[in-house]
Formats: sequence, C-alpha cells, structure tokens
Amino acid sequence: MTARILVVDDEPDLHGMITQKFRRQVHNREIQFEFAGDGVQALAVLQNIGAIDVVLTDINMPGMDGLTLLQRIGEQYPLTKVVMVSAYGDMQNIRTALNRGAFDFVTKPIALDDLEITLRKTLQVAATGKQAARDREQLMFLQRELDVARSIQRAMVPSTFPPFPERKEFEIHADMIPAREVGGDFYDFFLLDDDRLGFVIGDVSDKGVPAALFMAVSRTLLRATALEGLPPAECLTRMNRVLCLENLSAMFVTIFYGILHFRTGEVEYCNGGHNPPYVLRCDGDARMLATSGNLVVGGLPNSSYRATELTLQAGETIFLYSDGVTDSANHQDEQFGEERLTATLKCKTKASPAEAVQSVIAEVKAFSGNAPQADDITVLALKYLGD
Amino acid sequence: MEIVQEQHGDVWVFLIKGKLDSLSSKALEDQMATTLAQGPKKILADFTQLDYISSAGLRVLLMTAKKLSGSNGSIALCALKPSIKTVFDIAGFSAVFQIFPTPSEALTHLAGK
Repeated sequence: MTARILVVDDEPDLHGMITQKFRRQVHNREIQFEFAGDGVQALAVLQNIGAIDVVLTDINMPGMDGLTLLQRIGEQYPLTKVVMVSAYGDMQNIRTALNRGAFDFVTKPIALDDLEITLRKTLQVAATGKQAARDREQLMFLQRELDVARSIQRAMVPSTFPPFPERKEFEIHADMIPAREVGGDFYDFFLLDDDRLGFVIGDVSDKGVPAALFMAVSRTLLRATALEGLPPAECLTRMNRVLCLENLSAMFVTIFYGILHFRTGEVEYCNGGHNPPYVLRCDGDARMLATSGNLVVGGLPNSSYRATELTLQAGETIFLYSDGVTDSANHQDEQFGEERLTATLKCKTKASPAEAVQSVIAEVKAFSGNAPQADDITVLALKYLGD
Repeated sequence: MEIVQEQHGDVWVFLIKGKLDSLSSKALEDQMATTLAQGPKKILADFTQLDYISSAGLRVLLMTAKKLSGSNGSIALCALKPSIKTVFDIAGFSAVFQIFPTPSEALTHLAGK
C-alpha cells in the first residue's frame, strides 16, 4: 500500500528537495507526497484526503503555525504521526512539540539522508498503529457478533417463569450462566400432552463458539425428537446416531432427558452421560440418583441407551445441574464439589424450584468469589405437587 | 498441565500431569495429532499424576480412540484417581476404554495385542 506523507512548509524549496530525493519511491508508488503552505492548508488536505500516515511540518509559518497544527492533528487524527522541522538548536520549540505528541524532529538545514531514515522509521510506527487500530476494530466487530450470538442462544432456552401457570401439578424453574459470551450448556422443558412434561439438561464437551453451535443442534434435535412423543431412551438413541455423523472433532453432549407423568408423579428418564440429578425429599434428604452407565450422546454411533424410572411423591423435587456447578473453583483452586451442593440442597428440600435454583447459584457465586468462571453453570429444578 | 511422552517398545506413553481442562486439552489435542500422524498403533494414557479432567479432556481421548480404531490401533488408560474414575463412570467412558490399575498392567496388555 502506498504510504502518504504531507509536507507543510511556507518555503517552496523543501517541496523541490523532497520531490527530487524521493523520486524513486514516488515513481514506485511506495510513497505519495502532498504539500501545504501552512497549518490551515494542511488541515484542509487532511480533511480531504483523510488517510495521511505522516505529517512533516515546519514550526514557524504564517496563518496557523506548526505547533498549533500538531495539536489539531493529535485531536482529530490520532493515528497520524507528526515529525517537526525546527531551526537548529531551538530546544524550546522542540520540547514543546514533543510534549504535545510529536513523534520526532529534524533540524534545518535538513540533511536528506537523515530525513529519509526518520521518515522510514515514522512510517513503520504509523503502519503498526494503523494495523493495531484495524485489529481493535475487528475485535470489536467480533465482540458485537458474539453479543448477537449470545442473545440468540439465550432465546433458545425458555426464560419465562412460571412457564405453565395454569398447571397446578408441578412447578419448574431453571437458570443458566455461560462462562463466556456463548456456552455449551442448555436446558429445556415442554408439555408433551395433557399428562406429561418433558424436561432436559445438556452439557456439550468444551466451551465457546464450537460448543454453542453443537448446543444449538443438540437442543433442536432433542426437542424435535421428544415432541414426536418418543420415549427418552429412543430419543437419545436417535439423537446419538445423528450427532455421530461427520463429527470429526468427536464433540459430544451429555443429556438427561426425563418425562414427568404429572397425574402420577412417575418419571421416566434416560441419562446420556450427564451428572446424575438429585431428588430432594420431604424428610429433608437430598439424594443423588445412581449413575446410568450410558455413554454421552454423539460419542460412538452404536451406543445403546437404557431408561430408568422413579416416582416422585407430592412435594418432592428433582434437581438437575451441569458440572459447572460442582467444578466451580475459588481462588485457592478448591472446587465447590458435591458435598457443598448436597449440603445446600438439604437446606432447600421444602423450597420452591425458583428458590432452590437461586440459592444454589448464590452459594456457588459466594464460594468462588471473583475467581474466573471456568465452565457454564446450569441448574433446573422440577417440583411435583401432586394431582 | 504437563505431558511427558515416552516410548516403551511399540507403545507410546503419554504421562499427563495436573489438570486436563478446556485450556490444556488443546495442547494435548495438538500433541496427539502430531503423534498420530507418525502412525503409532498403541497408545497408553498414564493418569498417575492427573488430578482433574473436564469434558474437553474426555473429548480429546475419545477422538484419539476413534482415530486409532480406524487404523486398527488401540488405546489404554491407567491409574485413574477416584475422582477421575467417577467422571469416567458418569460419562459412560469406563465401558468404552480399557482401563488398568497400573502402568505395568496396561503395558503388558498393550504389548500382547
């Protein structure tokens, strides 16, 4: 790209000297020179052309002097570097210029070889500065894209609570806090018919944009399969086959999918490699369900998935969470862990799902303090109230 | 995390130390890719000094296993600490991987393949 230099001087001889000295670079289109007779003209050139990399300016000029011009450039064109031309030994003006942000100075009479070195060095710094500005702009653009992705992802999980206010047989609440702008966790719930509620929690291996894309696919695939009314184990089996197709990076998702028969409290569920949920009992106990032995979903194409059943008594809650809860670390690098989670849940066995969800998140936040959040945190609580 | 790589006969041993989380998994993934490109058939992941594994770490292991099985190779793991064994059990990985209590038992198994 051609570098652009603006030379500002009220004496025309500099113009001729520079044109002569840099004729090869101009011919090769490495440098393009613009010329102005004073500060006012220089600002007009900057305004018309814009992208000037370096300004070489005299100090004493009629109209607007070089020091005022320097200040204006600093305010309006922060990426443009300014080199001052001063009288030999005029330390006072040189100091003022440097303090006002001049990049360098040369003294009269100008030694052209020295000027060439100075201009080359200044152009290099200007180019680096411009590149940094472009990079920053690019980053801000990506940041805005991620913000959009974040709101799209947030809209993929239900966020209106209570979601089924007309249903008196159960209460459900959930929350999700991604570690980065977008995450790999999700939750979902939907009425399958007048007797059954489907509820899901999922956690994609890894985080960030790749995980977010896989999360979107997983959530949509599961919802579509589940709404066909298939039992949980068949949903996961079918989903696994689809996710294994052309999955080169071996990404997978852990999924717990349950169906609550809310006339009876029966829960039919299939756990594809997810942390076993807790059941919060009316006697104040919080008990973790047994590990399923089923493989994660999307891992290996021929995995089979087995379902399990349990029955919730009226007043009991099933509590689902992602490992971002138990893996949350504090500044001493200790993890929140299952014991703290169990203790928290034991105090909340009688609480509403909203309260159980919020108090677990509050405990995790209090524990980890301002230590950086390493993983997405997701929790879902479903309380069976009885028919 | 730190990875020490050694060769025992035709078995390539990865001694993985510390935490295998989403940051360090990338380093393991790159190193595995470099190694697999050299065409080894047998890999042992030694977890004697591994303290933590996240799902990102599990993904790298699964990818390695898939690549190896595609080229008739095999992978074994050994010396899982209880907390890591729990993670494997929950994810269903214990049934997918050959897991041995000690490095020597794993090496004997792989050498006989």
